[in-house]
Amino acid sequence: MATKKKRTPNAESDSWVVIAADSVIDTQKHDSDPAFVRLRNPATDEASLYLLGSGDVQLYEVKAFQEDFRSWFIGQAVQRDGKLLFVTPMDPLYLILPYLIKSGKEGKFQPVEQLVVDEEFPACSRLLSCTRSLASLHHVTEEKEVGGRKFHRYSEEKTMSWLKKKVERTVAALRMRNVCVGEGVTSATYVRVKPESDGREEDFLRYAHGLLSEYISEQLSKALLTHLGLPEPSSPKEAEPPSKKRKLSDKPVEAGEDYTKFNSADFARKPPKKMTTAQKSLAKVDKTGMKPMSSFFSPKVKAEKK
Amino acid sequence: MDLSSFEADNSSSCRLASHIPEVCRTEDCCLGIDEAGRGPVLGPMVYGICFCPVSKKEDLKDLKVADSKTLTETERENLFQKLDEAKSYIGWALQILSPNTISTSMLQRTKYNLNALSHDTAIGLVQYALDSGVQLKEVFVDTVGPAEKYEEKLSQLFPGIEVTVRPKADSLFPVVSAASICAKVARDRVVKDWKFAEDLREVDTDYGSGYPNDPKTKAWLLKYMDPVFGYPQFVRFSWSTAQTLMDSKAATVHWDDDDEETGEKAAQRQNNRSMLSYFSASAGGKDHNPTRKTHRFFTERRLKSLNTL
Repeated sequence: MATKKKRTPNAESDSWVVIAADSVIDTQKHDSDPAFVRLRNPATDEASLYLLGSGDVQLYEVKAFQEDFRSWFIGQAVQRDGKLLFVTPMDPLYLILPYLIKSGKEGKFQPVEQLVVDEEFPACSRLLSCTRSLASLHHVTEEKEVGGRKFHRYSEEKTMSWLKKKVERTVAALRMRNVCVGEGVTSATYVRVKPESDGREEDFLRYAHGLLSEYISEQLSKALLTHLGLPEPSSPKEAEPPSKKRKLSDKPVEAGEDYTKFNSADFARKPPKKMTTAQKSLAKVDKTGMKPMSSFFSPKVKAEKK
Repeated sequence: MDLSSFEADNSSSCRLASHIPEVCRTEDCCLGIDEAGRGPVLGPMVYGICFCPVSKKEDLKDLKVADSKTLTETERENLFQKLDEAKSYIGWALQILSPNTISTSMLQRTKYNLNALSHDTAIGLVQYALDSGVQLKEVFVDTVGPAEKYEEKLSQLFPGIEVTVRPKADSLFPVVSAASICAKVARDRVVKDWKFAEDLREVDTDYGSGYPNDPKTKAWLLKYMDPVFGYPQFVRFSWSTAQTLMDSKAATVHWDDDDEETGEKAAQRQNNRSMLSYFSASAGGKDHNPTRKTHRFFTERRLKSLNTL
């Protein structure tokens, strides 16, 4: 199904190595070639590369496999850039959604052609010619039909349940592909004796949510997290104990503990109640002319100086 | 000497051997080891062993075998002819290490240096003689590296055999001289008639001695350098002569294990965090990109979004 395509270079000398389904370059039904277009990435709000399939009926996202120290030998040429491009089908609704949300704040029902407009990325209107676009708008908007024309208004509620379905389908796909979703590192070759323990469902949900968040705004991602009933992951920073280093400040230094209790009368030193026999016999020894032990450690008495 | 098996695939190592004389299986034998073509930047390195019964040592002397370096090419060819004719009591075996084998050994991830390669080849040939039933009692070797260490290594590997490692052994022991002649003749023939695996059209075979200091060799190396591939397999890429020329004239190629990039520098390039950053509480926050982190599904698979082709 997937074929390795070696594109002949256009004006530039560079070519790319692309893996794409045959349908991407299928020009039999349509006259126009597939085209790479720059569109607003819903997650980053910046330009990303997409591909519109023949006649703009299918949207594909373009991802690059990129590692250090890679080059291609293509035919009789060497290509410095060792990238491998993947062109994979994508739901155009993800790219349309930001425009719907933006105008949804106005709260009006509008024809979709009026909603999906972007000065920076004029190509965004081509998204509407994708077969799936108009057919799936009802997943995220309320619709009204007046005089044969359809008007739309963004609905967060519908969007959430749509995204939830997407998460569930992603979980199913992750399970089928045995994608490692747990925290920490797992070796792909490590075979567990026991089946995966509990809590796996949440791991899958969280992983799928993270994956989906690559296609929606941060705000929407947070809302989806709540909608899925997943608690915010506790940040490791908060769990950390406070730094031990004291901070310098102009405020007067105050003792962290109250030492005044040691001044009270009942804290006065009491003589030890009992002495051992050894201590007793030592106490009886004649100590005249002997220096106390402490005198060896104290600075010399200055009395001699006189 | 039939070199066709090496010429069929001159990119790898190849063993050639004479028939084992019957007398060598029954009588105590001595064996000499020597090598030819250690220094040149071009062509293979050939290891040779020659063996005969200890009782026939004098006969070997009568053949007037001498250090191959003191002989002309024709004299060597003639002597090899005589050795080959004396097949009733003299046997030989050769290991031809192609320049490609030398290059790939010395330049692989875990470096395998020329001395180790030499020792292992010599050991392999002695083992071959033993496996063929030659009754080895004495082994004479021209040294590679410190003689005492090499001698100890060989003695331990082959208990019961008296191993003598000497510098200049090829002029001291006739059996080593004989081995050196076999090795040298094989190398000369291979180099003279090198079958280039590459399509070089009318290749200019005037490459001189093949030693790095030979101006002819240098000129040939310059002429046949390809900016992308470097040299034909005939050249030992691990030789500094070849490397220096490629560094200055050929396209730069970066490898995963490039020497210059170690420690800090490599870590920085790979976007790794310094170990120190894990000990201070605040560093984590500062380091993180203010824009969102790509999900690990993509980072683990080295997948990135593009904004331009």
